[in-house]
Amino acid sequence: MTAPLLQLTCVTKSFGAVRALKGVSFDLGAGEVHALLGENGAGKSTLIKVITGAHQPDGGTIDINGERVAHLTPAAAHKLGIACIYQQPALFPDLTVAENIALRLEPATAAHRVDWPVRRTRAAELLHRIGAEISPDAEVRSLSMPEQQLVEIACALGAGARIVIMDEPTASLTQKEQHLLFAVVRDLRASGVGVIYISHRLEEIFALADRVTVLRDGESVGTRLVGSSRRELAQTSSAESQSGPTSAATITESELIKLMVGREVSSIFPPAESEPGDVVLSLDNLGCTAGGVKNITLDVRAGEIVGLAGLVGAGRTELARILFGLTPADSGEIILNGQRITITSPQEAVAHGIAYVPEDRRRHGVILEMPIAHNMTMAIHNRLFPGTWLRFGAERNLAQEFIRNLAVKAYGPEAPGGSLSGGNQQKVSLARWLATKPKLLILDEPTQGVDVGAKSEIHKIIRRLAKDGLAVLMISSDLPEVLGMSDRIAVLRGGTIAAMLPGKSDAHAVMAAALGQTEDSR
Amino acid sequence: MKRYFRELSVAAALFALLAGLALFAPNFYEPAPLLSRFAAQAPALVVAIGMTLVIISRQIDISVGSQFGVCAVVAGTLAAMKLPLVVVLLASVGTGAILGAFNGVLIAGLGLPSIVVTLATMVTWQEALRLGQQGRFINLPPGMQWMGLSQVGGQRALVALAVLMVAAFAWALKNLAAGRHVYAVGSDAEAARLAGIHPKGTTFGVFVLMGGLVGLAAVMNIVQSPQVDPNAGGGLELKAIAAAVVGGVAVSGGRGNLWGVFVGLLLLATINPALTYLHVEAYWEKAIQGLVILLAVVADGLRSRRGKR
Amino acid sequence: MSSSSKLNGWKSALLRHESVLLFLVLLEAFYFNAVGRNFATADNVGNIIRHSTEIGLLALVMMPIILTGGIDLSVGSLLGLCAVLFGKMCQEGGFSPLVAGGITLCIGAAAGGFNATLITWLRLPPLIVTLGTYSLFRGLAEAITKGTATYSKFPQAFLDFGNGALLGLPNQAWILLAVAMGVWLLIHQTTFGRSFRAIGFAPEGARYAGLPVERRVAMAYVLAGIVAALAAILFTARVTQARADAGIGYELLAVTAVVLGGTSIFGGTGTVHGTLLGVVAVAILSNGLSRILSISNVSRELSGMLTGALLVLALASGLLSKYIAAWRARRGVAG
Repeated sequence: MTAPLLQLTCVTKSFGAVRALKGVSFDLGAGEVHALLGENGAGKSTLIKVITGAHQPDGGTIDINGERVAHLTPAAAHKLGIACIYQQPALFPDLTVAENIALRLEPATAAHRVDWPVRRTRAAELLHRIGAEISPDAEVRSLSMPEQQLVEIACALGAGARIVIMDEPTASLTQKEQHLLFAVVRDLRASGVGVIYISHRLEEIFALADRVTVLRDGESVGTRLVGSSRRELAQTSSAESQSGPTSAATITESELIKLMVGREVSSIFPPAESEPGDVVLSLDNLGCTAGGVKNITLDVRAGEIVGLAGLVGAGRTELARILFGLTPADSGEIILNGQRITITSPQEAVAHGIAYVPEDRRRHGVILEMPIAHNMTMAIHNRLFPGTWLRFGAERNLAQEFIRNLAVKAYGPEAPGGSLSGGNQQKVSLARWLATKPKLLILDEPTQGVDVGAKSEIHKIIRRLAKDGLAVLMISSDLPEVLGMSDRIAVLRGGTIAAMLPGKSDAHAVMAAALGQTEDSR
Repeated sequence: MKRYFRELSVAAALFALLAGLALFAPNFYEPAPLLSRFAAQAPALVVAIGMTLVIISRQIDISVGSQFGVCAVVAGTLAAMKLPLVVVLLASVGTGAILGAFNGVLIAGLGLPSIVVTLATMVTWQEALRLGQQGRFINLPPGMQWMGLSQVGGQRALVALAVLMVAAFAWALKNLAAGRHVYAVGSDAEAARLAGIHPKGTTFGVFVLMGGLVGLAAVMNIVQSPQVDPNAGGGLELKAIAAAVVGGVAVSGGRGNLWGVFVGLLLLATINPALTYLHVEAYWEKAIQGLVILLAVVADGLRSRRGKR
Repeated sequence: MSSSSKLNGWKSALLRHESVLLFLVLLEAFYFNAVGRNFATADNVGNIIRHSTEIGLLALVMMPIILTGGIDLSVGSLLGLCAVLFGKMCQEGGFSPLVAGGITLCIGAAAGGFNATLITWLRLPPLIVTLGTYSLFRGLAEAITKGTATYSKFPQAFLDFGNGALLGLPNQAWILLAVAMGVWLLIHQTTFGRSFRAIGFAPEGARYAGLPVERRVAMAYVLAGIVAALAAILFTARVTQARADAGIGYELLAVTAVVLGGTSIFGGTGTVHGTLLGVVAVAILSNGLSRILSISNVSRELSGMLTGALLVLALASGLLSKYIAAWRARRGVAG
């Protein structure tokens, strides 16, 4: 048997205190489509970055074409025939499509003469092969996100890559573009290329993949064969992803969901103790074209945790950004405590008693260089420091109180935010917003990249807050968390609410609504 | 058309200005002073080429005026020793390249912001020059001026050289991989790294090139007079930056082309004589130059604001 | 109180940037006192203060701007423009220096507001905006004076003020002290300084914390404009005339003093007392050199050159301490 194209053995990678990969093994054969599945924060992107040389693993080995690679850099990975299509395309916005493709394909030697006609015809040909109707002369900045992704795919195709990684390539593609993409993937497989295919959409995995590996919390929890795909491929010539997987793969589908969800018992979540009170926030047909959100109608009551589930790009964070005034709404109404309000800036949101604990805690949640005391009081300058004069004693007391109440592990209020572990940073970010004494608390992935202990602490805190009468809107991609914590679950899909489910629903129902499977699989 | 909107509108402004001069001050077009004026702008044009590269790679260099002075004094000193023009030229270009490399090491190597680094080197070279030269002019041997040609011949040669340089660099920026790498690095350094381009090496190279071009410009300047003025580079950085920004080079990097800069410099260079011919006082030059820079960036800012909406 | 680098014990207090700088300043002073003539006399100290007031004022307001991660290259030119306008108002407009001074401060505020508008509203890079106004303000000054005119008809009281003293210290010293006190309070004792820091460290993070980022940034530039105008008036009083070339190159000296004083050019960290020490270091250097070198020209150029070199060194050392901090943070988390 020939060596696999790619073999990762026991790869580990940590960022500060967060262990993103805890010994993951993974292999990919020639002519294989190997799907990679896992919730957000499971370690997929880190694994991809290790394979493309963007991250150096802390431990473990990488073999490519049967040869051990000691130090994989992006350039070396490129040379070894590894191409990656990122979710956020790494393109040059100021340059044309033809040039973007060319810069990936041509050797990076300085004296090399550029042949524009060749660049243009090659780009046109590659774009034609994947059926994309994009002019090679268009500037990339003028393209939509899906169009940029198609350009990325054209790059990989043109590079003659032996290993192609696709990171949620269909997240923003139209139906037609998806079918073209599937055809491209099948072409690649037929020509002996190994494809690592990351997607949340199960139907795609069953339509395309030969094998699937599920990652959870930085570990590989299993690699399975996806039985039907080859056979189905042989039978159907065109890309009919809907008819294929229904009968043969239904069982595997629920197995997969089970693998992804894990077997965490929901009783570890603190139980709901309070009866929801009055409606705090009421959204009526809320929409925002820039954020891609439309027709959101939703009530959140005092003492209630409403979970916002859905896939990445379904509009959950965008909804939070609307409510926090970062991308103001352009249609519909926001009613807070019975009053119709407009929110056009974070300051206004704060003044209305809305708090938002953002997803990207290192960039938005905590200012890493500043002491945690300063971080905690940042949103209450007006209240804590009347007349703008800082009161260091009051600040310290407040910080110490939060450190105690939320059990923040730090050497003191003056410890810089960056010196804390992820979970403790999250608590600092939470403290900042609890200090504002909000009426509505929006949490965006409150436990992403947080270790298990801190995670359950944060869950207890959230529950306690709800019990004290706070209205909580919790965005989470962590299914057990959504199921275990929420009193009600709003599942978003395509920028609008696809389903309202009661708390303690089963994972299948949420996944199915998020994936849009309800009608498809029947 | 839309892509070259900026270049075309600057060209239109230049054309309008020239037309105004033709109507109200036709003696602007007398051949001899016109040629002198072109020749006097030739060194600035060569410096603007380098500045264009620097700004496309999302950096800035405000030390070029001081570099220009140092190169001019080095070249003048060697010329006074009756060394041949080729040696003088090579020495000047080499000096410029070394000064540029110094900036390049600090900016590309250490990752320091180019504005502060070049602010510091600007003053350091300028004061070092004053210390060494004490403002003294250097007298050049007779054969030096106009490179041994007649005045008209020398002026024509300088203008031709400058335009040739623009053409050569415009070609290289468009058709050599190295030129495209400058755009790539300025557009997105991280994406460039992923594509196997070395952003640090490219940035370093751009600064060395900038220095070399300044060295060339310094020689092009000293051959126009019998003496070397060590302060001749004053304000050159602003002129070069203004030409680049007005010519459509985006200060956010990755965009711009040399022909636009060429037209931009012509426009800037025409404003001042136009003021004189149209009986506006010449003291307004610097203010108008600043205003033109601001107008150019405000136009860009307004456009990107509208684009975001 | 240093907001970011509160480490443990006296060891780190000694290694803090300001302490090292203070040591350097003392070393400088001792050296010049030992080698030069009449360095440590009351006269010369007054001289040093008088001559470094304008740069000190500019550095004090450059500091908040650099703290927010921006830069203002136009302060030197604005000083020139304000000086000329002030002189013109006094000489040709018949205004008393007090009224003319008030108007000049308003003009400074407007000029700072102009920078601020372009930077915050149009989201243009501060570098290129202030480079444009650097040229514009100086150009306006030259246009008003037609390149040559100087204004020197000031009331005697005004000129006396420029070279007088109060309680043994030059008048300028008191103004510098007052402004330094004000900026120190602003940066270290109010929420404004806190906001500047947050914006410098992470502009997006500050926005997500609900801070009014645009308003705060604008405030820093307007403040710089007002104080540049004040510096222009003091400059005029000291040199007894207003010329278009007043304050050429001061923006560099101000930036140098700020960076030398330990403010990170990338924004976020820095102290006002560090900036003052930076001003003192630069001032002593140029004065001391003039005391030990006989040719006055040489000393001026040498000190200019050393200032530039000092800036590069300060930048590089700032980077070094950043690496060390990052290294410590990594070890701190791991251990």
